[in-house]
Amino acid sequence: MRSPFAYTPRPGPLQSASPGAAVAYLGALATVAFLYSSPLVLLAAGIAAALAGRLAGARSAVRAAIRLGFAIAVPIVVVNALVVNRGETVLARLGDWPLLGQVDVTAEALADGAVFGLRAVVVMIAFAVYSSCVDPDRVLRALRPIAGRSALTATLVSRLVPVAAADAARLRDAARLRGPGAAEAGRAPLARRLLAGSLDRAVDVAATLELRGYSLESPKRARRQSAEGLWVRWAPKPFSRGSRFDRRFYAVGALVLIAAIAAKVLGGDGFHAYPTVELGLGPSPVALSALLVLSGLAPLRLNSQPMGRTRPRDGRLRSIDPGVPRGPGAAPVCLKAPRV
Amino acid sequence: MSELAIRRGAAPALAVDGLSYAYPRAPRRALDAVSLEIAPGEFVLLAGRSASGKSTLLKAACGLVPHFHGGEIDGAVTVAGLDAIESGPGELAAVVGYVAQDPETQVVSTTVAAEIELPLEMRGDPPTSRARGVEEVALALAIPHLLGRTVDTLSGGELQRVALAAALVTRPSLVLLDEPTSQLDPVAGDELIWLLRRLNEEWGVAVLLAEHRLERCLAAADRVVAMDSGAIAFDGTPGTFLAWSHASDPALTTPAARLFSIAGIDPLPTGVRQARQLLASTGAPVGAGALTPSERLVLLGRPHLGQPEHADPSKLREEGVRSPAPTALEARALWIELSRDDTRHDVIRGIDLEILCGERVALMGRNGAGKSTLLKTAAGLIDPVRGKLETPGGIALLTQNPSDYLVRERVGDELPGEAGAAALRAVGLEHAVDADPRDLSGGERQRLALAIALAGQMEGERLPGVVALDEPTRGMDRGRKEDLVALIDSLAARGAGVVVATHDVEFASEFAERVVLLGDGVVIADGPAGEVLSGGWYFATEVARVLDLPGVVTPEQGAAVLLGAGEGPA
Repeated sequence: MRSPFAYTPRPGPLQSASPGAAVAYLGALATVAFLYSSPLVLLAAGIAAALAGRLAGARSAVRAAIRLGFAIAVPIVVVNALVVNRGETVLARLGDWPLLGQVDVTAEALADGAVFGLRAVVVMIAFAVYSSCVDPDRVLRALRPIAGRSALTATLVSRLVPVAAADAARLRDAARLRGPGAAEAGRAPLARRLLAGSLDRAVDVAATLELRGYSLESPKRARRQSAEGLWVRWAPKPFSRGSRFDRRFYAVGALVLIAAIAAKVLGGDGFHAYPTVELGLGPSPVALSALLVLSGLAPLRLNSQPMGRTRPRDGRLRSIDPGVPRGPGAAPVCLKAPRV
Repeated sequence: MSELAIRRGAAPALAVDGLSYAYPRAPRRALDAVSLEIAPGEFVLLAGRSASGKSTLLKAACGLVPHFHGGEIDGAVTVAGLDAIESGPGELAAVVGYVAQDPETQVVSTTVAAEIELPLEMRGDPPTSRARGVEEVALALAIPHLLGRTVDTLSGGELQRVALAAALVTRPSLVLLDEPTSQLDPVAGDELIWLLRRLNEEWGVAVLLAEHRLERCLAAADRVVAMDSGAIAFDGTPGTFLAWSHASDPALTTPAARLFSIAGIDPLPTGVRQARQLLASTGAPVGAGALTPSERLVLLGRPHLGQPEHADPSKLREEGVRSPAPTALEARALWIELSRDDTRHDVIRGIDLEILCGERVALMGRNGAGKSTLLKTAAGLIDPVRGKLETPGGIALLTQNPSDYLVRERVGDELPGEAGAAALRAVGLEHAVDADPRDLSGGERQRLALAIALAGQMEGERLPGVVALDEPTRGMDRGRKEDLVALIDSLAARGAGVVVATHDVEFASEFAERVVLLGDGVVIADGPAGEVLSGGWYFATEVARVLDLPGVVTPEQGAAVLLGAGEGPA
């Protein structure tokens, strides 16, 4: 079974964008989450990330991230309430606890923990959208000339993690299928078996990488022979790997960052948990929140017609190959299904 | 293939001279003084039993041996003029492509396009050249529709084609394949072999293909090299290979060759087409022609063949007639869903199925037809969304990877007590209590895993109602398959309904009395093995394809018909 965070190719602007543009956009939303403590701004950043994911078709990834984010947020709130004794509004006095001493649960500590938790949820959603919408191969390709060893490690990990997850699922199934008279599989033997299997897998994947020429000189330094017979360094890329949506994501990301920094400088982060909770709802956090929510629309395809496909009135889909040049003498593209 | 395409006299695609090799800490050599030459454009089939040295020879030709595995090597290996012992696999990647048995471990990228592009990128090709290379090889292998998909959404057959595309994208002069069809269904397996043959003819790429299922690829080969204990035992044409294997190692003969040999017809055929031509020249009324199969049976004096031996079990039920044996597995209006690509898909769609105790049933169908899902549901690993699936006497399921069951370092620790001893006796492994599972042979490990699944489900020496095996013959040679048939027979004789999900039609014809064919989640055929395995093309044995006679699927049955005497189908 596939992880909801696994990359799924879809024909959307966010998926088409270069990794740099997608990272700039989603990274800006995550940066806002780290810059601000205002629940209003955090909520707006979370809505923006979730909206972006939904528009990019990563609905299940967003759902899973929200679930996982809340599973992390709840313990944060509880632990913060137990270990932080600051705040004036005491909700409960739980007495002396070993290691923790006097434990007073305050409304301020709960609110502070909730902000931490909300921040974790926002970052989780942004990461989930990145993970399911940005092609890891393109990211690794971009990294390879800069950091070859790191790219190799990332390649191995990105391949082995899903393989190890599949192996673990198989081992779990085999453990359940053991007869009642067989020794129980046990966690330790299963973990040992999984580790041994993963090492075998890693050796196989490494062999495949060898066979694909990964051990050769880095592509950055690869050279080609020019027409004059001289060995020259690679010429600039003859065609760009970016997309027409790149500028949109770079622009939205930059706008969000600039607005967030400006609002922060102007005192827009009007949240203080201690000694009593203060939530500033001035014009700058409200304006920033509105901008953030709107930024979630960046992955929206303005022309809603899917590329290369038309839906005629009878509802039947028909494919048109956009790569086929259609000159003036070519037959007109049939947008309607022929009468049968 | 024509001499023009093979280009004899040109520099060889592969030259091996006196190659001996031993893996690190191995007690004996894996290759022993092997000498071999493959001409450019030649299609060579590498035959041999398990552990005969086939995989090691392929790994030596692509540089993994000794560069990746280490060990001691002697002799010379030259691939398209490059010294494979001096050059590493990376350097050799430009002239040789390698496709291994397990497609899962041959992909390192997330998307198909990136996977195919990787070797070109590593070679330093510019992006335009890479884009063209990917497009060309995708078109050649008929996979352009897969380019935008992620590799974890592909079926086994698709993944194997992608691995082949990645091996071919650099336009190597030699491609090496190590049992590439072992995990594929008959349709995907046949497609892959003929795709290789087409590329061999159109691109002129030399092919060295190691396979156990020789009947699948013998007709496509120009030459056969057979290995035994790390040495070359035979090197010649497919026709002379069959004569040699018949005399020296019958486990390597094909079913059609066995049919001819038993019937006393010469020469032995390399494929279905040649077999039909040879039979036609003898005047036997078999094979596709003007006559229908039943008319041919009348001419052959065997009109009773192909008649159902017993009525449809469902009709028996409707008429209230009770089967003599108790029910081992019963499915009623069964629907099973699985998640795929963020959505739920019906994998099993409302099937009814009954399997009796003591029955030997082959569950067949294409990859993704629902065979494994059905067995896992019977074993309680998956819950059906509607309907019921019951196994009144219990079930022991052995999944596709027997090693998953082996988590301890002593057989006795896996199976303690009297229940464990009884399970070991049931599979004939009572002598191996103190052995390390890793020291057992592949077949013994499989039997040990089955014993682990059986343990505690037996009342005394009585087996559970169903013993199910999922794809147990992957990578097995014929000798081991015969051992497995014997084990299945003994399990069924002791009252268990044995259900085996398999792609191997020849194996199914050996052990099964009934075949259930699944297609897209429904039962598309259910009947006696002879009837189902002779009623089509892909899910039919080689003998059935040659003779095209209802109910005739094994060489012995076919020979009996040709000789006009002996027993009919079981």
